[in-house]
Order: sequence, then structure tokens, then C-alpha cells
Amino acid sequence: MSTAEFEDVMDLDIEGVEASTVHPVGPTEMEARDVSVWFGQRKVLEGVNIVFPKKTVTALIGPSGCGKSTFIRTLNRLHELIPGAALAGSVLYEGKDIYDAAVDPVSIRLQIGMVFQKPNPFPSMTIRGNVLSGLKLSGMKRDNHDDIVEETLTAAGLWNEVKDRLGNAAGDLSGGQQQRLVIARALAVQPHVLLMDEPCSALDPASTLKIEETIRELSKEVTIIIVTHNMQQAVRVSDYTAFFLAEEGTPGHVVEQGATTEIFGNPQEQRTLDYVNGRFG
Amino acid sequence: MSTITFDPRTLEQLQQQKSMRPWRKKPTRFTASVTLAVVIPALIVAALYLTSDIPVPILLVVIYLPLQLIASGIAAWATKGTRGIADSVIIVNAIGASLFSVIVLVSVIGSLIVRGLRALSPHFLFQNSVYISPSTPLDYGGIGHSLVGTLLIVFIASLISVPIGIATAVYITEVRGRAVPYVRFFVQAMSGVPSVVAGLFILTIVVATGAFNQSAFAGGLAYAILMLPTVARTAEEVLKLVPDDLRTGALALGSTRARTVLRVVIPAARTGIITAVILGVARVIGETAPLLLAAGNNDQTVVNPFGSPISSVPTYIFNNVALPYPDAVTRAWGSALVLIILVAILFTLARVIGRGRVGR
Repeated sequence: MSTAEFEDVMDLDIEGVEASTVHPVGPTEMEARDVSVWFGQRKVLEGVNIVFPKKTVTALIGPSGCGKSTFIRTLNRLHELIPGAALAGSVLYEGKDIYDAAVDPVSIRLQIGMVFQKPNPFPSMTIRGNVLSGLKLSGMKRDNHDDIVEETLTAAGLWNEVKDRLGNAAGDLSGGQQQRLVIARALAVQPHVLLMDEPCSALDPASTLKIEETIRELSKEVTIIIVTHNMQQAVRVSDYTAFFLAEEGTPGHVVEQGATTEIFGNPQEQRTLDYVNGRFG
Repeated sequence: MSTITFDPRTLEQLQQQKSMRPWRKKPTRFTASVTLAVVIPALIVAALYLTSDIPVPILLVVIYLPLQLIASGIAAWATKGTRGIADSVIIVNAIGASLFSVIVLVSVIGSLIVRGLRALSPHFLFQNSVYISPSTPLDYGGIGHSLVGTLLIVFIASLISVPIGIATAVYITEVRGRAVPYVRFFVQAMSGVPSVVAGLFILTIVVATGAFNQSAFAGGLAYAILMLPTVARTAEEVLKLVPDDLRTGALALGSTRARTVLRVVIPAARTGIITAVILGVARVIGETAPLLLAAGNNDQTVVNPFGSPISSVPTYIFNNVALPYPDAVTRAWGSALVLIILVAILFTLARVIGRGRVGR
């Protein structure tokens, strides 16, 4: 048997094992089933199957261009806003397919919040206005706005820095503060799931640390799915990890997934081992 | 190798440092040649101006500009060598061109002041022209009625064209419907409609059919036709500048598309949209032909937008500037000056409103 053949067999074997061993304990919040994604004629993601257990943190890692960000956007139906986007498979949230014809994408996005790579506070609103903007934009009714502002800003680790200037423009904050502000904004509508697309990529180490603390704290309440390029960050914040890879000319797919300690400590795949040790990507 | 740390003994020396701009220092040779390059052409042109009767524009464009180009070229060559020549040509041309546009603007305003300032007085702004004939001296009468008319007509035109213009821009940039290319084409074509055609259109559709008299409303309709494309296209440009991050950010918070546009996108583009409105107003405020046809003329002050013909500043200028009475002509120039001041006030106002940055 040649090496290539051996590896082929190993691939199959390991993926077969994966499906049964990785299935996490505890209730499931979200699940991607055979999700494939196209932009026009180009297939960028193939057969992604991941289970996200309630109140855990799942890290999506992998080199640039492997479809992590695309995948995370399929989880709250932002993907479909891109012209030419297409999708196969299903995404289950609380056991129901969010792509069902009867489902309103607006209500899905309200329950599955998102924090983006670049902080995007609304420039026309104050700090306070930004935190409460989700309530206004979604038409959600919640009382005691002052408490919500304090609670969410505290949860995002920003309260002490801004409590005396809630009426200032959001644009006056630093990049790291803006990112924590948009996390607070996302929390104010009380989402069940929080998607984070490389939330720390534009931040300095101190702000990154604060946001990581925030993520750990939040995971007691909400399910978090985070895309990151930072291996140490994945280890520090996540319970589960999925490793995405797009090999030359092929669509991206999940090479290996499981408990974070396993993926980083005892990966089954050579490619995972190479990637988490910084040998490529 | 040891680490080097900050030595407090140098602190005193450092505190005595003065702030300087070392890049401003120039060698004497440079200063001398630049001075010569500025002074010599200016002297030659001044001498020609005093001794010959070559008209000033020709003196400036045909003689001074080439002379200055050559002189700067030589100065640049003397200080920087050949590579300086191209630089100097570009710089002299750029300065020359901007000076030229400033001179044009200043001379327009200058001629308005010279010929019209004499007409300005409080009663010129507040009185109307009832009992005033073209030969009446400047001590009586004014253009209050025309100012009221212009403001009323522009206000009506804005009421109509601003919502439609912004809605058009929203359709193009936010809704991105299938008809976008056609809508854009028609808006573009509309901006080419001659103002007299807009006036004739309203005259035949609204006035001649008896639906409305010649009035502020009919004039406002004609102005609205002219304002609409300017407002729509400028608003489209500014909405395009709003980063997509904000739109996806709002949608990710469970916002509908309509709320995203109304509460996030348009507020983010607020300054630009105010600019769009002002540009629209500036586009129409001096248009005469549509108002001659659709709004008519009147010596009395009219505030009812539907009732009767109404005066406006451009039609007042039109009616007075060609009369054989010097005082009437002065009044016309004075009105033109008032009109330009009005535009300046509107622009300043827009800047001030646009600067107030963040709402609740």
C-alpha cells in the first residue's frame, strides 16, 4: 500500500470516528448539517457538519480563505445578503431549520447576534444610543433602559471606562473600546447565540485580553461561536474547536473537530497538527 | 551588551529645547532665485501695464503666465537641476489656475457690490413694490415681496423634491431593485431638462388647464422638476459612502431593511444629505424662466401659495435690469446682490446644521 493510499484510508477512518466521538454531551443549541456554500458557480464550502452545544464556546480555526467567515454568516442568515450567494444543507437552531420558508430571517438574527471583525458602532448615535440601538432597530420592548446599558456594558468590560460619558459620540472611543461597545450592543437584545468573526483581529493585546475575559464570562449565559486566527486565543477561550481547510482548488471543509484540548493536545490528523503548531497557514 | 536606560541628568538639557521646523530651512541660493523668479515677471508686467494699453486679461494670460513659467523654471533649474523644472511648471500652473477661479469669483461679487450696494437699505429688504414705478428714486420701495416669493417657492419645491429625491437614492443604493439602471438613466436624463422646458411643462399641465393659477405652488412644481435630479444624484453618492459594515451590523441586530435605512444609513449620511438639499436649492434659486412662466409677477406681497401670481427675486431682476431708468437698474443689481447673500446664508446654515454631530 502506498503512502497516499494509506492516508486516504486514514482520512476516511478518522472522519468516520469523528462523527461519533465528537458529538458533545449536553443539549444542542445549533447544528450545521451538510452545509455547502457557493458564490456564483464557485463552491467555497463543502459538507460542513458541526454541533454547537448550549452555553459553550466553539472556535473555528483555519488558514485565510478556508470559508470560516462564510460559514459563520450562514448561521444567522447574513450570507444570503451577498449577491450570487447559494447554500445547500440545513442549519438547525433549537431543532428547527432556520432556512425553512416559514422562518423570518429578522427574528433569527435577533436571537443569533453577531460581532464583526471591524468594530462598527453607529456613528450617528451616542454610546448609550448604540447599546440600545438593537432594541429600537428590532422593535423589541424592554424596560429599565438605564439598567440594560449598565448591565451589558459591564458584561462587555466597558462600563468603568465610559460610565461618565454615555452621551458622547461612539466614534470618540478607541478601537478596542468600540469593539466592546458593539459586543454590549449585541447583548442588549438578549441573544441566545453570539457569533464572533475574528473580534480581536484589529485590537491591541490588552483589549484582546479584556474581550477574551468577556467571552469566558458570557459563555455562562450564551452559546458562543468564534472565528479566530490566533491559536492561543482558541485555546484560552474555547471548549470545542473545528479546523477548516481549503486545499488547493477544492472548497473548504472541516478537517477535524472536537474538544479544544484534543485538537491542540492530541490531533488525529497530520494537517491539524501542522496547522496548530504554526507549520503552515 | 547592557541595556540603555533614560538618564535623568539629560532632562534639564531636554527641557531647554525649542520647537523648530528644520525642513523649513532653505539655502540662500534657493531664497534668492525664488525671489527673483517672483519679482522679475511681476515688474515686467507692471511696467507694461503702465506704459502700454494691452487689456488686463491678455496681459495676465498671454504675457504674465508664460513669463512666470519660464522664470520659475529657471529658478528651479538653478536650485534643483533639471528634475526641478517639471515640479515648478506644475506648481505655477496649479497656483495660476486657482488664482484665476478666485479672481473670477471676486470680480463677480465685486461688480454686484459696485453696482448694487447703493440700492441696499432696510426698506429695500422689507418693502414691496406697490406704488413704485421704475423711475421712483431709491429712497422708496423694495424687494420684500420678491424675497418672500423666492423663499416660498423654494420651500415648496424642497417639500416636493427632497422626499422624492431621497427615496430615489434609497431605491438605487439600498433597495437595489431590478429597475435601478432605468431609474438612474431617467434621473440623469432629467438633469438635462432645460429650465424653460420645466416652466413650459408646468404652464401647460397645471396653469393652462386651470388646475392652479400662476402661483408659488406652480412655480414650486417647476423648481421641483429641476431640483429633483440634483438631490437624487447627490443623495445617491452620499448613501454609497456609508460603509456596508453599518448595514450588516444593523441587520445582525434583528433590524428590518426599512429600519436599517431610516435609523442607521440615513442618519450616518445626514451631513451629506443636507448638502444634497442645499445643492438642489442652489441649483434652482436663480432660475428665471420657469418662474416667468409658472409663477408670474406681482408688485404686492403674496403669502398664499395657491392664490395669485407671485414675484420672485430672479423675475424681479429680469423685469428691472433692462429698463431705461438708472434707479431700476440699480435695484436689479441690488437684488442680485441680495440673492447671492441669500445663497451664502443657506450654505453657511447647512454647514452649521451638518456639523452638529450626534443625536440621542
